[in-house]
Amino acid sequence: MPVSRKRSIIRSIYTACVATACIAAVAGCSVHGPSGGGGQALWDGQRHVSVADVWLPPGYKIEPVVIGLNFPTGVTFDDAGKVYVTESGYSYGEIWSEPRLVRVDAKDAVVVIARGSNGPWNGATFHDGNFYVAEGGEARGGSILKIDRDGNTTALVQDLPSTGDHHTNGPVIGPDGYLYFGQGTATNSGIVGVDNYQYGWLQRYPQFHDIPAKDVTLAGVNYESRDPFSAAPKLARYQRWFPIFAPSPRLVLTGAYSSFGTPTKPGQVVPGQIPFTGGIMRIPLAGGQPEMVAWGMRNPFGLAFAPDGKLFATDNEYDVRGSRPVWGTGDVLWEVTPGKWYGWPDYFAGQPINNADRFGAPDAPVPRRLLASTPNKPPLPAAKFAVHASADGLDFSRDDGFGFVGDAFVAEFGDMAPTTGTVQDPVGFRVVRVERAGGIVHAFAFNRGRANAPASKTNGGGLERPVAARFDPSGNALYIVDFGVMLTDARGVHPAENTGVLWKITREDTK
Amino acid sequence: MTLAALAFSSLGIAAFTAVGCSTQRERSATISTADLRVDPRLAEGQRVFMAQCNQCHVGGAGGLGPSLNDKCIPSFLIKFQVRHAPGTMPKFSRGIISDAQLDDVIIYLKFLRSHPDGEI
Repeated sequence: MPVSRKRSIIRSIYTACVATACIAAVAGCSVHGPSGGGGQALWDGQRHVSVADVWLPPGYKIEPVVIGLNFPTGVTFDDAGKVYVTESGYSYGEIWSEPRLVRVDAKDAVVVIARGSNGPWNGATFHDGNFYVAEGGEARGGSILKIDRDGNTTALVQDLPSTGDHHTNGPVIGPDGYLYFGQGTATNSGIVGVDNYQYGWLQRYPQFHDIPAKDVTLAGVNYESRDPFSAAPKLARYQRWFPIFAPSPRLVLTGAYSSFGTPTKPGQVVPGQIPFTGGIMRIPLAGGQPEMVAWGMRNPFGLAFAPDGKLFATDNEYDVRGSRPVWGTGDVLWEVTPGKWYGWPDYFAGQPINNADRFGAPDAPVPRRLLASTPNKPPLPAAKFAVHASADGLDFSRDDGFGFVGDAFVAEFGDMAPTTGTVQDPVGFRVVRVERAGGIVHAFAFNRGRANAPASKTNGGGLERPVAARFDPSGNALYIVDFGVMLTDARGVHPAENTGVLWKITREDTK
Repeated sequence: MTLAALAFSSLGIAAFTAVGCSTQRERSATISTADLRVDPRLAEGQRVFMAQCNQCHVGGAGGLGPSLNDKCIPSFLIKFQVRHAPGTMPKFSRGIISDAQLDDVIIYLKFLRSHPDGEI
């Protein structure tokens, strides 16, 4: 072989080796590796609070307002500027407590205004002398509650389809005088599966499933899963080691918008209903039948009207779980156009998810389309957040006293890896600022340290799981509702009661 | 050059790339708007990064994907990874990120590396 030819071959091999090694280092093989989620922590069991552990932009300060709240989810203010917090009364992990609306009188003093029994209470707003609370209703269905100052409670609408994965969320009053609220989907991506059994609700409501707002025609795609209701599942876990003696699990087929074990056919039409799952509805403040505002969302948790009167919603996107896992979808911020379908369960941020390169989970089949036709071309989001960030409550700055007028401030609850999908590094656990022009996401408040992580993982005293962000009536203070500690592992999520904190961020020159 | 030397140098480059110049750095917070005003290519890089990359490489730090702001990755490797994406990362065609935009993203990534704890 000529020397030049030999050199050429060696050079090619060398280049290939270098490129492969470098790409391996850059890309990692990590998705198959162990997960590094923020909840995967060794926590000492004490919630510490230290403002020095929180990074903020220069000129801003943070302080704890009240510590020891029990799964807080929302904050609102009455016409005198007093601060109120909703405590959920329910957390993933099937922890049930008492949902409450409390007034914050001092750093460690809260006064109970109202109590419930059908959590989670997912946020509140105050308007014209009354509080309006989104009652998630994991046990008995969702409601919008009207609560007066004395705690007298009436339901403006009830029996919302909220007994699944996601609930009734974030009430806001629109400039038109209507009350707007979000309703999450029953499932991750349209198919009821074993993941829902593990979450708990499928055991309580085996017939529950997603409901479209308008008629949809199905593609007839069904997913096979084991039947956790059969006698087999407890024994089936041993089948792997004793395949001869353990019974095979019973397998069932389940289609879209159908109860567990119910297959669908091509061309089958599922009639639309209101109320529905996965979208935004509104009701008159005096109560009445809900109207559809937007549908085809997954879990529109945070709702807020921008200073220009436009409605925005955060939407928690797909997880890598269940019969139809979807990989690599970050949460989004929607500018809500009335009447639009936003893409769930077949699209993410305007892109079809039946794309193996982009949305196929490792070691899982690519998601197939569930709908035979799309109701409309799904819109593009105003901004995208990190995958598994859980972008939740939001508000818009309205006052130069705080700054960044017109920008959205969004609380990122943080990943729940590995139950919702694995991550290399913790995601979320912070507050971000979103420039609407260009959808630029800036970190605004997060824990100091080399890696982004909740305080329970950094052994610090900073943020844990921000779930809501709202400005006070003056516009000078941004209140952050921190749900508290929630650890995670392969068995599920493990929330810690009474570890929630309400934080307040102001400019340093604010008195 | 022997095969042993080839393998040794490859491993060396891989280790350098993986560890980079980063071990004492904090993650990037965000980017100064003042810098963006004076450099439109940086602003375009940020815009494209936010639309296409930020979901997995959060502000250049790790998340679903690995961190990028703590590694001295050569530009040609970034381009190769974006276009061909071996591993679990999706590939981005020129229809999604043009060559000019990819150059701007690389400018933005270099900025993140040089401002590991930048201001808003």
